Amino acid sequence: MADSNDNWYPRNFKRAYVWELPVRVFHWVNFLCIIVLSATGFLISDPPAILSNEDATSQYWFGIIRFTHFAAAYLFTAAIVMRLYWFFVGNQFARWSAYWPWTKEAIKNAKHVVWVDVMLLSKKEHRLEDLSIGHNSVAAFAYLMFFVLFFVMILTGFGLYAPTSEWWLPNMFAWVPSLLGGDFNTRIIHHGAMWLILIISIIHIYLVFYHEWLEGRGEVSSMFSGYKFIRAERMANTYRSPVKQESTKEVEQPAEFDPNDPC
Amino acid sequence: MAVTENSQKQETYYESIINQGYSRRDFMKFATFMAAYMGLETSSIAQVVKAMESTPRIPVIWEHFQECTCCSESFIRSDHPIVADVILDRVSLDYTLTLMAASGHQAEAAKHATMEKYKGEYILCVEGSIPMAEEGYCCIAGRSSLDILKEAAAGAKAIIAWGSCASNGCVQAAAPNPTKATPIHKIIKDKPIIRVPGCPPIGEVMAGVIMHVVAFGRLPELDRLGRPKAFYGKRVHDSCYRRPYYDAGLFAESFDDANAKEGYCLYKVGCRGPMTYNSCGSMRWNNGVSFPIQSGHGCIGCSEEEFWDNGPFYERLPNMTGFGIESTADQVGKVAAGVVGAGLVIHAIGANVMKRKELRDRINKGIKTEEQIQA
Amino acid sequence: MAERIVVDPITRIEGHLRIEAEIKDGKIVDAYSSSTMVRGIEEIVKGRDPRDVWAFVQRTCGVCTTVHALASVRAVEDAVGIAIPPNAEMVRNIMAGTLYMHDHVVHFYHLHALDWVDVVSCLSADPAETSRIAQSISNWPKSSPGYFSDVQKRIKKFVDSGQLGIFANGYWGHPQMKLPAEINLLAVAHYLEALEWQKEIVKVHAIFGGKNPHPNYLVGGMACAINPESQGGLNAERLAYVGQLIKQGRDFVNQVYIPDLLAIASFYKDWGAIGKGKYGNYMSYGDFPMNGYADKDAFKFPQGIILNDDISNVMPIDQKAEDEIQEHINNSWYDYSDGNETGKHPWKGETNINYSGPKPPYDHLDVNQKYSFVKTPRWKGMPMEVGPLSRVLVAYAKGVPEFKEVVDMALAKLDVPVTALFSTLGRTAARGLETTVVADWTVEFYDKLMNNIKNGDTRMANSEMFDPKTWPKECKGVGHMEAPRGSLAHWIVIKDGKTANYQQVVPSTWNASPRDPKGQMSAYEATLIDTPIADPEQPLEIIRTIHSFDPCLACAVH
Ligand code: HEM
Ligand code: HEM
Ligand code: NFV
Ligand code: SF4
Ligand code: SF4
Ligand code: F3S
Ligand SMILES: [Mg+2]
Repeated sequence: MADSNDNWYPRNFKRAYVWELPVRVFHWVNFLCIIVLSATGFLISDPPAILSNEDATSQYWFGIIRFTHFAAAYLFTAAIVMRLYWFFVGNQFARWSAYWPWTKEAIKNAKHVVWVDVMLLSKKEHRLEDLSIGHNSVAAFAYLMFFVLFFVMILTGFGLYAPTSEWWLPNMFAWVPSLLGGDFNTRIIHHGAMWLILIISIIHIYLVFYHEWLEGRGEVSSMFSGYKFIRAERMANTYRSPVKQESTKEVEQPAEFDPNDPC
Repeated sequence: MAVTENSQKQETYYESIINQGYSRRDFMKFATFMAAYMGLETSSIAQVVKAMESTPRIPVIWEHFQECTCCSESFIRSDHPIVADVILDRVSLDYTLTLMAASGHQAEAAKHATMEKYKGEYILCVEGSIPMAEEGYCCIAGRSSLDILKEAAAGAKAIIAWGSCASNGCVQAAAPNPTKATPIHKIIKDKPIIRVPGCPPIGEVMAGVIMHVVAFGRLPELDRLGRPKAFYGKRVHDSCYRRPYYDAGLFAESFDDANAKEGYCLYKVGCRGPMTYNSCGSMRWNNGVSFPIQSGHGCIGCSEEEFWDNGPFYERLPNMTGFGIESTADQVGKVAAGVVGAGLVIHAIGANVMKRKELRDRINKGIKTEEQIQA
Repeated sequence: MAERIVVDPITRIEGHLRIEAEIKDGKIVDAYSSSTMVRGIEEIVKGRDPRDVWAFVQRTCGVCTTVHALASVRAVEDAVGIAIPPNAEMVRNIMAGTLYMHDHVVHFYHLHALDWVDVVSCLSADPAETSRIAQSISNWPKSSPGYFSDVQKRIKKFVDSGQLGIFANGYWGHPQMKLPAEINLLAVAHYLEALEWQKEIVKVHAIFGGKNPHPNYLVGGMACAINPESQGGLNAERLAYVGQLIKQGRDFVNQVYIPDLLAIASFYKDWGAIGKGKYGNYMSYGDFPMNGYADKDAFKFPQGIILNDDISNVMPIDQKAEDEIQEHINNSWYDYSDGNETGKHPWKGETNINYSGPKPPYDHLDVNQKYSFVKTPRWKGMPMEVGPLSRVLVAYAKGVPEFKEVVDMALAKLDVPVTALFSTLGRTAARGLETTVVADWTVEFYDKLMNNIKNGDTRMANSEMFDPKTWPKECKGVGHMEAPRGSLAHWIVIKDGKTANYQQVVPSTWNASPRDPKGQMSAYEATLIDTPIADPEQPLEIIRTIHSFDPCLACAVH
């Protein structure tokens, strides 16, 4: 390994504004909604035995749980609609194209991620391009899955909700259960999809911390601040569209620049 | 009720009805029933009554295939309108294995006479499913049910698929469906079909559907699945009198426990009311006496497609097959989450081992940078 | 040469029954009974949660709705070892008792009567005379001349419309129709009344089981929790309503059904010598437990078998003995894994459907091969007739006083010998007679239930072993009962909390089955032999005898 303290050279890391405010707002609203929806969902699915001598008329806890579920469901849906809009007007990291898995570059990057981050192997040659600025392509695919599952939740959720509502919005989804062979199947799908979301979430959270720990580029804080830390030369080389940040044009390449070292 | 408002004008209708041997009460019961469940206006009640007097009575051919006859049985339990009246005074039930006097070739001849004389005018009622695996699985008079159905459907004005058998395949279509029992709408594609699911459907619903067709000469308003909206538009859960207990979170935990005795909600002992579209909660059964939930047993979802395969009936979530021993979605989910969690722990350990060098490098580089800055 | 006639469909029964009969010199010399519809319910319930199975098998039949559910929960309880609370036992008895009332009355008026009653002839009746007759045989209030005259007008209007509906092509004017016009009118009036009445008595099922057809049952008891003070559930008011319904039902049975039955029968005494059958074997499993399912001696209907018409000797039955009850498929469209000639005890039973009959459309079945979907059950290799007649005979033979009383009353009123019981007429009469007895018992069950509740016992279900995890890894059980049409039993084998095997041997299976490997006929076939046929084009006589069994082919095949 060409690595020792003698090999040291100065890095020029730059703050890159990656996650715009709407993305961050979406992310945390979404995060909260999922926590609330899953918690209430579990309770709806299997309510605990509450022993109480009170009159039914003076109790409403299950109604409140369900109300919370539905209220959170609306917020969740609104946030997703907003995020959908941002797929088309957001920056290059938030755009729909950043989630498209079928480009040559994306596939190359995916191979890299699987090799280095999933299988934990090292590469002989480092490509600067493998260092993603927004999300990497495997993550992109996972987010795509998230969005598909969110749609499943919205379709099945509002489909189940429609008969209890007079409003046109939920009623737009009344066709869903009849397509899925009834409310029963719809509920099972709704329930099962929750598990998928939770499982992918666990992996996602772990990987966010993994990258933070391994690469130290401010992964976690990026979802709060919007900024990540990126090698200046990586930015200079690969930024495809103007990014709201200090210009990278005048960054000089350090003499000791070693393109094989990503860190 | 809409009927009372215009009673002046309708007096003549009452009279004609009474001349037919009805009491005013009979009429009111019937009119109320129709209005309440079919969403009728005062004016259309008059229309109903008028249609009831019209001759000839609409001929009905009622076929029995793979079934248990409980749909016929439920039909004769109907209280408004009383079935004897339907049979004698409103429709002409020209063929039904359950009630007709003639047997054998006389019975078949009666049917064929109606099919010829009233081609394009008769209503075809079907009770039961069709076995598509083998024609010999259901034969009448030496002919296969498929053959009989196609023949009878060809001249029918409309088809009523009674019960879960004809609408969804019902119990014989439950896995592994040994006879490939198939509902009517999957076979007959060129006729209007009213699906009236339920195992069986409520008698009054059956009579109401027939009466609607007779009175207006057209189908009642149907939903996406071809079911009359008036009867299948709402979930059992939405008209269930135990609903306040559901909202209050008060549930029977097991049969006959203290909560069950209090009449608490049956959700946790498997009630399918929240997923079942039927009028049981509002119309109830046997002239409004009760319905499954009122008698302490959860709804098993008998009007829903494939409800037989959503068991066990006493669990909130169904068993999922294909995961070795049967398990629920939650069990599968917990195991999957556990496996993923364990995988991540291994990954984390692996990362600490495999990436040790990189990490050490980065830390050293960090220290160096720091030194530089300080220097 | 004998002439082969086919009656298919047999109407006014449940299900799809076909009779092929050879007629020679105006008499039936050979007969074949076949059912031509199959669903495979025994295969469908395999692998399922035994607690759910009652609902599946209940859908075997919507006419005798409840009986399969009851047999099923009994089978599971027997296998697992669950004892149900006394209230549940009485509720189940009340439901079975009211089913008898409902099913038998509907059979008599709506399924059987048109074999004996000429609807068209009632138009020429004198309503005043009908009224007189009605009042002379019963004190049922609806019996004024005006009432019968209204009915007559209604039928006239109906007939005049030219659309005969369910009465089209009936056997009107057949030489075998022997009732005077006035009795015909009486019967038609009660046909209509019974149609209204029947929907009342089933309200008992709705109260306990939520609906009818197909009320709910529960392994371990019943789901209808008792709370005398509650608003919605099984409270004092509802229980009182049950009492009222039972008593009204009993009144109809005693004041309408039985008088009509005897009045009509008195014109058809010749049918006391037709439809006997050749073996004289009658079987009843017994039913209506009063002290738990395990205590067979406390059953209201006794259990036993009569062989060769010998009512002096009633033999015991053991449904669990593998050499007693066995099913054969040598003439049925199934395969056994070890060949077609053996019989199988139901715990080891198999249901591998294999249709090998003619390809439809067909004119005749090939009766030299397999010819029915009904399997052929035998007790120690012997065919058994089951049903009301068998129950009445076994009870009579065992000296159950209620039966002594009603049977002797009927024989006296009709002025016929005991031997007339072994016949088409006897079968139809036995059905009526047992209905009055069961109606009385039902009142008794009701009183017992109410007493128990008054004494503070409100238990309705035993949930202790409801969870299959608490069950033995492997067990098997039998749930038997007396359904309206006869002896019914379900056999279950449970493994790891799942249904490993399930077999139903149903009353109509016993009666409607094809021949066994020894060539012995079952009841339908055997009782048709020697029946005179006046007009092979209108084989009313076949229908009469077959209807006297109240066939249910959805039951028989399942
Ligand atoms: C991440 C998102 C969501 C999760 C994790 C979630 C979770 C759940 C769960 C576990 C259940 C119980 C299902 C069962 O076992 O029967 C449930 C029920 C339900 N959810 Fe959701 N849900 C989500 C989103 C939504 C949305 C967007 C809607 C839209 C209105 C919705 C509407 C419903 C309804 C109507 C029910 C049935 C409640 C009832 O009938 O009382 N859910 N949800
Ligand atoms: C229920 C839990 C969560 C869900 C469903 C979720 C979902 C998502 C989604 C859909 C994205 C893509 C963002 C976009 O393009 O709009 C994302 C990105 C991200 N999330 Fe989460 N998230 C969850 C929890 C968290 C948590 C707890 C953290 C941090 C502590 C976190 C940190 C991040 C970060 C840093 C990114 C950007 C990742 C990248 O650079 O590829 N997430 N998350
Ligand atoms: N045979 C028969 Fe049933 C009866 N009774 C059942 O066990 O009719 Ni449907
Ligand atoms: S739908 Fe159910 S009740 Fe009706 S015939 Fe079929 S099995 Fe019987
Ligand atoms: S008993 Fe069933 S239908 Fe009624 S409120 Fe409870 S879950 Fe809903
Ligand atoms: S089981 Fe069926 S009868 Fe009604 S309450 Fe449920 S839909
Ligand atoms: Mg069987």
